[in-house]
Amino acid sequence: MNTFLFRKVTPFVTLLGLGLTACQPDLEKDFEASRGTADFTRYIAVGNSLTAGFSDNGLYLEGQQNSYPSILANQFRTAGGGEFNQPLFTEAQSNGSGYLRLTGFSATGSPITANVAGNAGRIAGAPGSAPYTKYDGRVDNLGVPGIRLADIHTANFGNLAGQTGAPTAATFNPFFERITPLGNSQSYFQRVKAEAATATFFSNWLGNNDVLGYATTGGVGGAITRTDTFTLKNNRIINALTANGAKGIVATIPDVTNVPFFTTVRVADIRARFKAANPALDVYIQTTGTAGAQVVRLATDNDLLTLPSSAVIGTTTTGNPFPVGAGLSALQSNPVPNQFVLDATEQTSVRTATTAFNTAIVNKANEKGLAVFDANSFFSRVAASGFVTNGVNNTASFIAGNLFSLDGVHPTPRGYAVVANEMIRAINIQYGASIPQINPNDYRGVKFPQ
Amino acid sequence: MTLKSLLLVGGALLTGTAASAGGYQVTLAGQKNNGMGGVGVGLSLDQAAMFYNPGALAMVKDRGVQVGVNATLARSAFVAQGGNQQRELRNSVVTPFNLYAGFGPAEGKFRAGIAVYTPFGSKLQYAEGWEGRTALTDIDLKSIFVQPTVSYAITDQISVGAGLVVLAYGAVNLQRDVPLPDSYGHIELDGKAETKLGFNAGIFFKPSDKVSFGINYRSKIDAQVKDGDVTFTGIPASFATRFEATKFGATLPLIATTSIGVGIMPTDKLTIGIDGNFAQWSKYETLRFDFDKQINGQTFSESKRNYKDALTIRVGGQYKLTDGLTVRAGGAYDETPVRDGYVTPETPDNDRFSGTIGASYSFGKFGVDLSAQYVSIQKRTETQQQLVNNGTTDRIAGTYKTNIVIPGIGLNYAF
Repeated sequence: MNTFLFRKVTPFVTLLGLGLTACQPDLEKDFEASRGTADFTRYIAVGNSLTAGFSDNGLYLEGQQNSYPSILANQFRTAGGGEFNQPLFTEAQSNGSGYLRLTGFSATGSPITANVAGNAGRIAGAPGSAPYTKYDGRVDNLGVPGIRLADIHTANFGNLAGQTGAPTAATFNPFFERITPLGNSQSYFQRVKAEAATATFFSNWLGNNDVLGYATTGGVGGAITRTDTFTLKNNRIINALTANGAKGIVATIPDVTNVPFFTTVRVADIRARFKAANPALDVYIQTTGTAGAQVVRLATDNDLLTLPSSAVIGTTTTGNPFPVGAGLSALQSNPVPNQFVLDATEQTSVRTATTAFNTAIVNKANEKGLAVFDANSFFSRVAASGFVTNGVNNTASFIAGNLFSLDGVHPTPRGYAVVANEMIRAINIQYGASIPQINPNDYRGVKFPQ
Repeated sequence: MTLKSLLLVGGALLTGTAASAGGYQVTLAGQKNNGMGGVGVGLSLDQAAMFYNPGALAMVKDRGVQVGVNATLARSAFVAQGGNQQRELRNSVVTPFNLYAGFGPAEGKFRAGIAVYTPFGSKLQYAEGWEGRTALTDIDLKSIFVQPTVSYAITDQISVGAGLVVLAYGAVNLQRDVPLPDSYGHIELDGKAETKLGFNAGIFFKPSDKVSFGINYRSKIDAQVKDGDVTFTGIPASFATRFEATKFGATLPLIATTSIGVGIMPTDKLTIGIDGNFAQWSKYETLRFDFDKQINGQTFSESKRNYKDALTIRVGGQYKLTDGLTVRAGGAYDETPVRDGYVTPETPDNDRFSGTIGASYSFGKFGVDLSAQYVSIQKRTETQQQLVNNGTTDRIAGTYKTNIVIPGIGLNYAF
C-alpha cells in the first residue's frame, strides 16, 4: 500500500518541483538596456559648475563623484559606454576648493553653516586656495565651475602666465587652469574642440553663469551676456561638438529665481519678525532706480532677498536705531543693501535673458537633432509641486527639499541624480535608446551633522 | 528527489504571499477544494463545508476530523520605472492551515462542528535596499478564525447552516525605511488585533442526485489594532526629536464575501463544481495609522487604497478512479480589487489565473488529501504619472510580477 501511495505521489511531487523552478518570474528581459541610434563609446561632458559636480558652494571630491556626467557615464556603460575620466581631486585633496557644511540650527531654526577649508591648492603654505594642483590625465568631464558661455573663446583662460593684467573671472579660471597643460594658452573652446575630435556622445550645459552672476548679486555685479553673443557662441560650440557626427544632449538654463538662493529668505517673514518687535517697523530695501540711482523703498513680497542676506538682516549696527532691513519710512530706515535684493525689474531682466538663451539652445539642438533636457521647465515644475522619487518627497526648499545644496543654487547628489535621470529620459526618447535610470534615493540630500 | 528535500529546497527559495482570491484574502480552506480550483459552495464534499457553505454541512455524509496545511511559495520580481534592476523577495514561507471537526447523529438532520482556518494573511519581505523601501520592506499579516457551526437539513433536499466567526488571533507587522536627508532610518509597527465577531451562513439545495446549488455569505470583520508598538531604529540623534511615537492604532477590513456555487454530478464518480465569489473589497478605502505622538510633525498617516469589489470564477472537478483514489483538477480566474495606480508593495496584485491538481487516497476511515496550485498573478505596471494623478506617490512606480506555488496536504478521519 505504501509503495502504491509512493508511486502515485511521485509524479505529483515531480510536477511540483517543475512548478517551483518555473515559478520565479523574470522581468529583466523586458527592460534590457540598449543604445538605440546613439553611440556611447566616448562620452564627454561640456559645461560649468553643474557639470563639474559643484555643490555646497565648492568643488570637492564627493560632489565630483556624484556629478551628473559621472552618473550618466555609469548608466551608458550598460549599453556600450566606455571609460569616463573625471579630473577628480585626490583623496589627500578631497576638500577641493573648500565647501560649506551644516553644523546645526539656531534656536529659531535657521541653519548654521561653516566653511570647510579647501586643500587642493598647489602653493605650499596656502593649500586652501587656487591655483590648484594640476590634473594632467585624460579628461572626459570638462565641466569648469564659473565659466560663462561668453568666456569660451577667451585665450589664456587657463594660463596664469599669459595674463596681461591682474586676472579676473573673465580672463582666467583656476578650475580650467587645473586641467590645462602648463603654459598652454588655449581657450575653453579649443579644448572642447580637441576632445570632441574623438567623442561619440556629448552633453552640453553651458550658459547658466551668463545670467547667474547678475542675479546672485542682486543685479549689482556681473552683466547679463548679450543674446546675440550667447547665440553665436552656443552655435559655435554645438557645431564643434557635432562636427564628427557625435550625438548628444543639451540642457536649458533654469530660471534661477526658482532656486532656494532666492526663495528661502522672504520679505513676508522678515516683516512679520520686525512687526513682532515693533508694529511700526517694516522692511526697507536699497535698489537701483532710474538712471542707476540708488533708491530706498518699502519692500514688497515681489522683491526677492538672496540667501546671504539672512546673515545681514536683523543685526543692529552702531549709529542706527534700526537693524538692517528695518525702517519706519524710506528716510528713517536701514535698508537691505542692493546686492542682496533682486527686485521685480531685475527679475524681469533675468527671466527675459533666460528665455532668450533657452530659445537659442533649443533651436540649435533641434537643427542638429540633439536630445534636450528642458531644465528650465523641469525645475519650474519642481518649484511648483515638488518631485517624488520612488516614494520620497523632494522639493525646491532649502535643506528640507533634498535637491539643493547649502549654497541654494547647486544641487545635492540627490539633485544631480534627478538631473541625470531626466537626461536619460530625454536621450532614450531622442535616440530610441533604453538606458536604465538610477534610484535617486540612493544619493543623499543635504548632509546633517553627525 | 524526495518530498522532504524538495520542501527544503523550496524553503530556501520561497516566500509567501496571499495565495489567491485577490488582495490579502487567502482561500485555502479545504484540501479537497484546493485541488478543484477552490470550488465548494455548491458541493458537500467534507467538513470544510463549514467554511465554504455551512448550509451544506448537514448534507455531508461523514462526520469526522480533518486537518490541512499548505505552503505558499511565492516568487516575485519587480523593476522600478525607468530602471532595469530586478528585485526579488527575501526568503520566507507562509503556511495557511485548516482544522475541522464535524459531529452529529449518523442519520439525523443536524450537524455541528468547529472550524479553524486562516482566511486572510500576507507575508512579503522585499530585497535589501529595493527602490520601494520607504513604502515597505516587510509585511506579515496573520489571522486565525475559529468558527463554531451548526447546520440543519430542513428536507432531504434543502439544508441551512451558520457559523459564529471569531477573529481569535490577528497580528500585523509592518516595516519600512524612513527617508532622512542623508540616510535611512527604519520604522516597525507591530500589533495584535482585538477579538472580533462575524458570521458565515449558507443555504444548500440539492434537488436531485445530479445537481446541487449553494449560496454563502461571510460577513466583514474589522481587524482592529488598538495599542500596537512603534519602534524606530537607525535614526541619528539630530533627527530623533522628529520621531516620537511609541504606539499606534489601525483598522484593516477583512471584507465580506458572497458566493454562489453549483455542483454537477453526471455519474457517481464524477463531481464538477462551479463557484462565483463576490468580494466586497470596496470597503478598503484607506489605510490609516494613528500615533500617540508625532512622527515628522504628524500624529497619523493615511494611504489611499480605493479598492473595488472583485469577482472570482472557479471551476473544478473530481473523479473517483478507484475505491480508494480520487483525482482532482480545477482552475480559477480571480479579478484584482486593486485599481490602476493604487498598487502597493504589500499587495502587488493583479488579475490571477490559477490551475490546481489534487488527489485523495482513503484507507477506510482514514484519508490523505494532496493538492497543488499554481497561481500566476499577471504582470502589473504602474507609472509615476498614475501615482501623481491619483495622489498615491507614497508607493512606487514600476512593474510587478508574481507566481505562487502552493502544495498542500490534508489528513482526515471519519468517525
